Amino acid sequence: MTVAIPCIQSSGVTLVLVVSNIDLTTDLPIMKPSTFLESSIKDFTLNINNDYRYLKAGYYVSLHAEILGNQVIPSSENIIDAYRTPILLLRASKAGIPTMPYLVTDSVKQIISEFNFPVVIFAVNPFSYNGFKTAKNRSALYRALKSLGMNYKFDVCAQPLKGEMISLKSVFGRCELNRDASKISKRVYEVFKIPICKLHIQRIEGKAYLCGLQPLKNEEISLHDLKMISEEISQISKNGENLVG
Amino acid sequence: MVKTSLASIACFVEKYNFTDPKEAMALQNFKIAAEKMGHEFNFMFRENLLEIPKYDAVFIRATTDPLYTAYIVSKTAWELGLKVVDDPKSIQICGNKIHLYELFEKYNVPYIPTIFLNKDELHHKRILDVFRIFGRPVVVKAPYTSFSRYVEKVACETSFREVAKRFFRKSDVLVVQKFMPTTFDWRVGVLNGEVLYVCKYMVPKGRWKHGAKRRGKPSFVWGRTISLKRENAPAKLKETALKACELVGHGLYGVDIKEINGDYIVVEVNDNPSIYAGYEDFRNRDIYSKIIAYLTD
Repeated sequence: MTVAIPCIQSSGVTLVLVVSNIDLTTDLPIMKPSTFLESSIKDFTLNINNDYRYLKAGYYVSLHAEILGNQVIPSSENIIDAYRTPILLLRASKAGIPTMPYLVTDSVKQIISEFNFPVVIFAVNPFSYNGFKTAKNRSALYRALKSLGMNYKFDVCAQPLKGEMISLKSVFGRCELNRDASKISKRVYEVFKIPICKLHIQRIEGKAYLCGLQPLKNEEISLHDLKMISEEISQISKNGENLVG
Repeated sequence: MVKTSLASIACFVEKYNFTDPKEAMALQNFKIAAEKMGHEFNFMFRENLLEIPKYDAVFIRATTDPLYTAYIVSKTAWELGLKVVDDPKSIQICGNKIHLYELFEKYNVPYIPTIFLNKDELHHKRILDVFRIFGRPVVVKAPYTSFSRYVEKVACETSFREVAKRFFRKSDVLVVQKFMPTTFDWRVGVLNGEVLYVCKYMVPKGRWKHGAKRRGKPSFVWGRTISLKRENAPAKLKETALKACELVGHGLYGVDIKEINGDYIVVEVNDNPSIYAGYEDFRNRDIYSKIIAYLTD
């Protein structure tokens, strides 16, 4: 679905409400998440946060904007789905983004019966920052399931590891890696609209496959990233470009 | 191979769904009802999730929450085009009370007086404000509450801070509500915009909610469940329940409602409502066949 940013002023500048927990260098007015949560401002809402995990302020900002009837980036549904690895992979694969086969389980036996070692294990809970581990043998797999499954309370998402794991920062779908990874970053943004995130990609014989998405820590955002975020916000504000929602 | 059954239903359960004999019996009742209607009904556990695409419908009985495996099951089934109860949107809304109360506020559903508290607001002045508005005690609720857990009554600033800090570990926003004691809460079961069953969830003596934790023990004490024929339940009660569910979706819900001076006030809408043999089905025996019919429609 294509959603156009509404309310283009006579000056050609689009009315965009930027809600952010990050210190941005943009001329646009920026509202803190806690202030926005108590407001009832009806504008197109651009929710910029390093961490959109479910139950965190970044999630509540998008939810509140939706309840107010605002168009918002990202949507609360996309936030939940993007951070749950199996749903991320399912929806990404439906959208034509290359992904690896995956298995949702809490059983070491089942993973071994489906995939050969090594495997990469992602947490299927949005509480984890360092949500993946690689396992080359059975005992490493047990340890990975115990730790990422939070003592087997949650399932994990297992994928075969056939190449090299790469983690990259994605800012509005832009990243600083080669063409293949950059294409994935762009497509993931088009599907899920998560402005700032970390993508985990597996590169096999020069081809990139999406494996997971996670929040960035505040300290991982560099000055260069801040500049890029601010540029993107200004572009969106000035051009009133169409955004895929 | 020739398919002999009309539809195949996967019922997603976890081991704990079979620990209470009344719940285990209810699950068997679903299976019997489905098979009587000519459908296939299989229990699906965590290790069988690869089988989801084989089915026509998925019925989730394991506890739902966007953080749990049940959400993965629901969303996967939904993306594959299967009929699913509880659908992912219902889990998203009912699994977070902030979402639910924001919708109640927007669409004028009568609900318990509520304030949202975010992390920055946990300070002396704000806490006093809350006590001034609602009086003492107040109820502090984590947005992810279910089965009466993560809902606590506090009467002083120290307890308020202690409970809020604990709940803030998971969620950046909490619910604070006026304490409105009643001897029971109505539970109205709703399926696809129609009332399915009506019960009274009694509050155990000396407690203030239907399920209360035993002091110093991990176990809970539950109040009695009194079932009514849905036809005999007050019309205004049913109307209030349907209005609240309309905001969530067209699935299966359990609406908790307080009756205060003849007014009906919604406590919450729950997806994945408890169904125990001899309780919710006691006066409305057709709930199993109605749910199966909805799944296979």
